[in-house]
Amino acid sequence: MREKIIAIHSSRGGTGKTTIAVNLALTYAHEGLNIALLDLDFRAPSLFGVFSEGIKKPVKCWLNDFMLDRCEIGQVLIDVSDKYSLDGKLLIGLANPTIEAIRNMMGRSRAWEVAAAKKLFSVRTSIFNEMHMDCCIFDTSPGIQYSSINGVVSSDVTVIVTTLDSLDIEGVKNMLVEFYDEFEKKSVILMNKVFPQTRMWSDNERNELITKMQRVFKRPIIGVIPCYCDVLEANRDSPLIAENPSHPFLKDLQEVGKKLENI
Amino acid sequence: MDTKKLLVQLIGEVHMLNQKFDSVVEFGGKMLKTQEEFLQRTTKQKHTDETFKLEPDMVTLFSLPSALRKTVVALYKLGEATAEDLARETKRLRAVESSAANQLVRMGFLSKRREGRKVYFFIE
Repeated sequence: MREKIIAIHSSRGGTGKTTIAVNLALTYAHEGLNIALLDLDFRAPSLFGVFSEGIKKPVKCWLNDFMLDRCEIGQVLIDVSDKYSLDGKLLIGLANPTIEAIRNMMGRSRAWEVAAAKKLFSVRTSIFNEMHMDCCIFDTSPGIQYSSINGVVSSDVTVIVTTLDSLDIEGVKNMLVEFYDEFEKKSVILMNKVFPQTRMWSDNERNELITKMQRVFKRPIIGVIPCYCDVLEANRDSPLIAENPSHPFLKDLQEVGKKLENI
Repeated sequence: MDTKKLLVQLIGEVHMLNQKFDSVVEFGGKMLKTQEEFLQRTTKQKHTDETFKLEPDMVTLFSLPSALRKTVVALYKLGEATAEDLARETKRLRAVESSAANQLVRMGFLSKRREGRKVYFFIE
């Protein structure tokens, strides 16, 4: 994979976006790729919690500081490759989870949002030309708001994560027409938390679902990941891949990762 | 005697003429001052119009026609670009990009600067 920015997005919260972004980044890095993973969800940051064991505290520079022009992107990125014994490199950019920082990022002027979008676009040059990363993954905030729009527009391809919940499906459909089509953005759908884990489904059933959903969304379905109860119940202060590297969820994600490389 | 009378009359008329000239000069001065003020006002207005800017933030881009939106997004990516650079990025004709970028400048979303024969567009 060469110099690709992948945004992980959804229409609503709770679809498993962060779990997918984190484990996809770690899967790639295990395979020897150099990956940067950025938390663009400034309203509900999660990556700090997930990687809290793997980083030195206090964090000197947050992604917020970069967006506010207080530091360079290189000062934000933390190398966690050794912690997870990766073949490649994994650099993470964390959003500040304190209420003060979240409040500070809200209700900013339009002029500032223009500067923020320019900053995010500039990440491409730094990450690929200066740091020689292979791929950058944006974990965006759900729905349509400045940080998620900036993330999606500045990316090369977006993975829209959805469940089979009718509100999720309607939300994604609207987003595709009113946002993705308008901006001519390349996007694929990842169905997550589909059916209970206990239900065995045949290949036919699976293919039928994919065909049906492709018709609904008019986009490629890049994967269908079943609902694994233990993933939902797992402690989220550590990546699943570090706790249980042979989990079938990760196998499903590995396939998704391979398909993404070819898009 | 007649000559003396004629001279007095002549001096009187020259005096009147002087007064009329003074009035004309005074009126002309007032006119010039007004004209100057008018010119200052219009120049200031023109200057204000030239620096009037709108922010092309991502939410605002939703309200733009897709042809113009594409140019702005390309400029976000390129930072600063000529119509030719934009055409390379958007895979559209240079003339299309030049027209779109200039329209965006007139709308106040973009700025442009000239360097030799090249015109660079950018988001301020």
